Amino acid sequence: MKEGFLIGGGLVLAGLMLELSVGPVVWEAFAWPVNGIVFAAFLTVITVMFVLRKKVYAFRFIATYHSAIPTLVYAVVLTIIMGLTRQTANPSPADEGGTWLNHMLTFWPFVLTYVYMALILGMVILKQLQKWAAARFSLFALSSSLLSHLGLFLAMTTATLGNADMQRLRMITEVGLPENRALTPDNTIRQMPLTIELKRFIMETYDDGSPKRFASEIQIQTKSGKEVRATVDVNKPVKVEGWKIYQYGYDTQMGALSQTSILELVSDPWLPLVYTGIYMMLGGAVWMLLKGKKVNHQPSNCKSP
Amino acid sequence: MINWEHFIYFAIAAVLLWAVGAWAAWRSKTAVAYTSTAIGLAVFFGFILMMWISLERPPLRTMGETRLWYSFFLPLAGIIVYSRWKYKWILTFSTVLALVFICVNLFKPEIHSKTLMPALQSPWFAPHVIVYMFAYAVFGVATLMAIFLLIKEKSLNSKLPTLNLQLDNLVYVGLAFMTFGMLFGALWAKEAWGHYWSWDPKETWAAITWFAYLVYVHYRQLPKQKSRLALWLLILSFILLQMCWWGINYLPSAQGNSVHTYNM
Repeated sequence: MKEGFLIGGGLVLAGLMLELSVGPVVWEAFAWPVNGIVFAAFLTVITVMFVLRKKVYAFRFIATYHSAIPTLVYAVVLTIIMGLTRQTANPSPADEGGTWLNHMLTFWPFVLTYVYMALILGMVILKQLQKWAAARFSLFALSSSLLSHLGLFLAMTTATLGNADMQRLRMITEVGLPENRALTPDNTIRQMPLTIELKRFIMETYDDGSPKRFASEIQIQTKSGKEVRATVDVNKPVKVEGWKIYQYGYDTQMGALSQTSILELVSDPWLPLVYTGIYMMLGGAVWMLLKGKKVNHQPSNCKSP
Repeated sequence: MINWEHFIYFAIAAVLLWAVGAWAAWRSKTAVAYTSTAIGLAVFFGFILMMWISLERPPLRTMGETRLWYSFFLPLAGIIVYSRWKYKWILTFSTVLALVFICVNLFKPEIHSKTLMPALQSPWFAPHVIVYMFAYAVFGVATLMAIFLLIKEKSLNSKLPTLNLQLDNLVYVGLAFMTFGMLFGALWAKEAWGHYWSWDPKETWAAITWFAYLVYVHYRQLPKQKSRLALWLLILSFILLQMCWWGINYLPSAQGNSVHTYNM
């Protein structure tokens, strides 16, 4: 276990050195096709390490509990630091007073720890897949552990790498005025492939005046010429040609009389992969619930290298 | 219409029935233990259900309302554990713990108006919170068991490995439900806020808690381990869970930037 803690400490140190020399992680640089290439390269590295594990002790060590437990501990500690410090959005030169710890998601030691965790997950998955293959992929031999690890690996890696391809824009619509421009998070204007016209803004309130429901009746025209009429409610986004349209806000000073509705348009091409991961984890949890822990330890799983 | 004023009557009836169940368990009167605890649960759930109807929304919004579910799930988790492993003490523990939460609710109800902001009006609301509350209750029972094992370690010597395995199974149940809660939350967040994971303080602490229990689960797979360390890991995880559950409401770094604060 000492080795595992040393590796984790080494990663934190390496991360600190990277942070000092090249600055924080620039996630925007991972936009397609870079993220696709990085993902393929990562999978290749894992496979090569797995193939060579009998020859190289260090590779063999990665897929053991002695490496997984310290890494989880490092992840817990670093994430606790994240939970105890105020996190602010993307670091910018204007953001003075913010330290590395206020930008945990771009802080190298944090990122490297999670990358190493993904590497461990990858090696463990291959190990378990090999075992499952030996059982001729029989459904009875499918372990909840394989499902959970594979699901977490898929969700973690694709969510992180896909983040650079995710687009979130706010569109301010007014009744009767078709709109096709939207604001990016850093407030630059962008032409959208959709034109949206607000037909009617709907607002219902409780007796005390607090909002009960707010929604927008909209007419959407896509680039391909398709016309869609829909009502966007909070919690009920509308899906059109790869975009999800959310009810985001309205003119709060006008309240129920608002003629303005703010919509959020979100596109996340990696979502199906993330969801596949999430569903696998859910399946793994159901499986774990049904099977529980066998009273007899399975020694093949617990061997140290 | 039923309201918060009536809670005390339901609470007293339920606690008395659970206490009879706990007493019956010590006396090995299994049938009485089951029946009495079950009726107590029905009485308590009856109150939750009627609050649900009279509030015209699930009573899950405020901390007080989630405590209501917690007090319900503790004896439920207790009776499930009892039915599987027949610990005589478990029902006493779960009853006392439920009583503590009931008392907190009697002195600090935090049951509010009928209003339910649009962000919470979703089919995911009830499963997300209920599943989490059940996980918290199971982990609460697991923590009690860990403390019990730490204290009684010497006198339990030969039984200890079996007890530890049973504790593992309890943690697995809690972890499975916690995973459901977290992932239901992610699927819901995508529909409500446009993203499934935003590292909101509540989400950050949910991840911390989840990983902490994973440390325990993985540690317990080691062929050579220190059993006291494993039990302490469970207690530590439960402390982190408190941070996730209500601690962040008092955490300076989480003030004003969590979308999970609905009880204001």
